[in-house]
Amino acid sequence: MRLKQFSIRTLLNLVTVVAGLACLFPFLWMIRSSLMSNIEINTYPPHLWPETLRWDNYPSVMNTFPFVQYLINTLVITLPSLVGVLLTSTLAAYSLARLDFPGKRLLFVLVIGSMLIPTAVTIIPIFLGWTALGLSSGYIPLIVPAFLGGGAFNIFLCRQFLMTIPRDLDEAALIDGASHRQILFDILLPLVAPVLISIGLFTFILYWNDLLGPLIYINNTEQNTISQGLANFKSGFGTDWKAIMAASVMAIVPPVTLYFIGQKYFVEGIVLSGLKS
Amino acid sequence: MTTRFSRGNTRTAYLFLVPALVGLVFMTILPLLGVAGISLTNWSGLEPPQWIGFDNFVQLFSEDNYFFHSVAATLYFAFGSVISGILYSFLVALLLNQKVFLRGMWRSIFFLPYIVPIIGSSIVWSWMYEANFGVFNWFMNLMGFDKVKWLQDEALANPSLILMTVWGCGNLIVIFMAGLQNIPRTYLEAVEMDGGNAWHKFRHVTLPILSPVIFFNFLTSVVVNLQTFVPAYAITRGGPSDSTLSMVFLMYREGFMRNNFGHSSALSLLFFFFVAALTALIFATSRRFMFYEGE
Repeated sequence: MRLKQFSIRTLLNLVTVVAGLACLFPFLWMIRSSLMSNIEINTYPPHLWPETLRWDNYPSVMNTFPFVQYLINTLVITLPSLVGVLLTSTLAAYSLARLDFPGKRLLFVLVIGSMLIPTAVTIIPIFLGWTALGLSSGYIPLIVPAFLGGGAFNIFLCRQFLMTIPRDLDEAALIDGASHRQILFDILLPLVAPVLISIGLFTFILYWNDLLGPLIYINNTEQNTISQGLANFKSGFGTDWKAIMAASVMAIVPPVTLYFIGQKYFVEGIVLSGLKS
Repeated sequence: MTTRFSRGNTRTAYLFLVPALVGLVFMTILPLLGVAGISLTNWSGLEPPQWIGFDNFVQLFSEDNYFFHSVAATLYFAFGSVISGILYSFLVALLLNQKVFLRGMWRSIFFLPYIVPIIGSSIVWSWMYEANFGVFNWFMNLMGFDKVKWLQDEALANPSLILMTVWGCGNLIVIFMAGLQNIPRTYLEAVEMDGGNAWHKFRHVTLPILSPVIFFNFLTSVVVNLQTFVPAYAITRGGPSDSTLSMVFLMYREGFMRNNFGHSSALSLLFFFFVAALTALIFATSRRFMFYEGE
């Protein structure tokens, strides 16, 4: 019996290690390929690891893949959007979680209902709307929507979290003469900080990884985002695999770093969205 | 006192909701009406649009085979990815729910692909799938099979993209793990007391209690994967023979690469009804296998 227990445990550990390494393999393969010459990369059977590590692939790819420029462009879109999402989704969530007003139910249903509409459906009329305003080329159409509620899902998540905090707290503050702005920003927001950090991290990743938006609104290559720059690089240098792999590694380092820093909040945010709704 | 509060409440509530309401009107409601209106025109963005009635729809259903190909490609990819993704993530979550060593580290590793931009994973996987020097064909050779053209083969292109998508669904694993940890130990112990084995525990406790979590993962994955765009755009360009021509990629191609905004809006509208119908169907059938505590 004890032997059987022991061997099941060993088996489970073994399966975990094999599956986990398989999951890591694409990362390993990308890094390994980014450090080879194109001659070595096109050898068959493939070498598992480069004979010499060609770190200079990285500076040389930056001549055709202006990583720093793309990084700045992406941040110019992402950071203001982050502010917009956090601010406007919190305001809406506070109204829906804490205040009573005529038409509340209807508005709540509309906001949540819009969550179910696939974003891809409305890209053409929205694009034509920006065109009519003369703003269809540039960052504005990518940033402004973040300031318009910040996404139904984020409003919903923040509302759910606010609902768990006792209302006595606000009422006591109201009697002490606090305004709604003070209640929300000074009392409640510190209490819901974990969910705000989660929303912030996911918004960051969403904007960072978005490709469709930049493809529609950014026509000038100097304004390209990282994802867009990487897609263009792939179509422009289709067979220069060492360069493509080096560019890919650079593009995924920022989100992966952010993940390791904020891991706890990523996991909590995902769990919240999956179990509370 | 109360009336002053509630009047102030109403004003504040509407004020705080202004941004979200402007968004609701200008980013959702008007665009939805707009997509329906534009779908009845031949708008190209250059000349003023002309009203052409249902011509775009007639064309989609009669002349344009792309539409049917895109529906088939989207359904194949979405349901292939969702079903394989749920199975994979559920199995990994069950595995990590055991007392395996370095559990936290493995969880991070399985989650990591979810963070990678889809354009990044598409590029890396297309290099691994590469027909001559790619690592997958090396594995095929090692196992005694011939090399295959993963992404250029009509029968293999979708399964190849599905495998890549399954690799990226680490978020589902985290949700399943949290669900598993919420199962009261007493329930599992009760099965043991009655002489049940691991299968009984899984079948009569784990599965029913997790059914709402499975449903949530299923529904959100369906909606996400029906909207697949990046792999078709960046890797396969919809090919070979339209096998990976997803509906969103077709909408993008017709609208933004060919300036057929009318045609593309007709597609968008059909896509909207398509997703709505599937979502309704999933909700309707979910009652059969869902279990809610306290019922």
